[in-house]
Amino acid sequence: FRFKESLAEDVRRADLVISHAGAGSCLETLEKGKPLVVVINEKLMNNHQLELAKQLHRDGHVLYCNCSTLVETLQSMDLSTLKPFPPGQPEKFALFLDKVVGFQ
Amino acid sequence: TGGHTTEILRLLSCLSESYSPRHYIFADSDKMSEAKIRSFEQKRAETFSNSQFTLDRIPRSREVRQSWTSSVVTTLYSILYSLPLTYKLKPDLVLCNGPGTCVPVCISALLLGLLGIKRAIIVYVESICRVETLSLSGKILYYFSDYFIVQWPDLKEKYPKSVYLGRIV
Repeated sequence: FRFKESLAEDVRRADLVISHAGAGSCLETLEKGKPLVVVINEKLMNNHQLELAKQLHRDGHVLYCNCSTLVETLQSMDLSTLKPFPPGQPEKFALFLDKVVGFQ
Repeated sequence: TGGHTTEILRLLSCLSESYSPRHYIFADSDKMSEAKIRSFEQKRAETFSNSQFTLDRIPRSREVRQSWTSSVVTTLYSILYSLPLTYKLKPDLVLCNGPGTCVPVCISALLLGLLGIKRAIIVYVESICRVETLSLSGKILYYFSDYFIVQWPDLKEKYPKSVYLGRIV
């Protein structure tokens, strides 16, 4: 498929997700508790996608690789090493913003 | 665009109905954000009866990998477009999270403030993707926003005027 409205159902049914390092894709997958292998796209300027994948990998939440090392990663991976990903806290932002704007 | 829209909708998810009406501004080339926003607002309307929002498109400031010189031109063009829009909306608060689209809008809001027409609070939340370096929008708006929020401690260290609340999306 080209573009679907939402990949939520596909992610829910998957045992493993292989994705690019876009924040939405990573977060959606990790929040559903699915093991994630992140593939870095080296053609985007500055390659900032790598920063998030590296950090998530450092924190033990994902495996990461690039296109050429994908097969090798899939063959040698151990998914039991992945740590659960705690959700973000938008309520903290709401509290902060309320203070800033003056809604106490 | 895509990831930015998903993130900003999460930021909005816990805001009270005092943050109303909400005016969404996004790039004319963006095909998917409108659907995401409508879906978010639809759900919101189930809880809050008087939910109000608008959608506006402006020319995209810059494409990925666009050259510096042509980026200045296209950004200026976007500012020409966003200035009357911002003047019409006269926001109290501008919340943005990094797409190039936000720079002309913030500059417009700043201009309106400088001209004494309307002073908005500008809050910038850097994307969760940015762990070690700021986006180009972030590098610019770090100096022009009232509150600049980062989501990883490395950035708080590098940009001491920023606010660190942990992961908020």
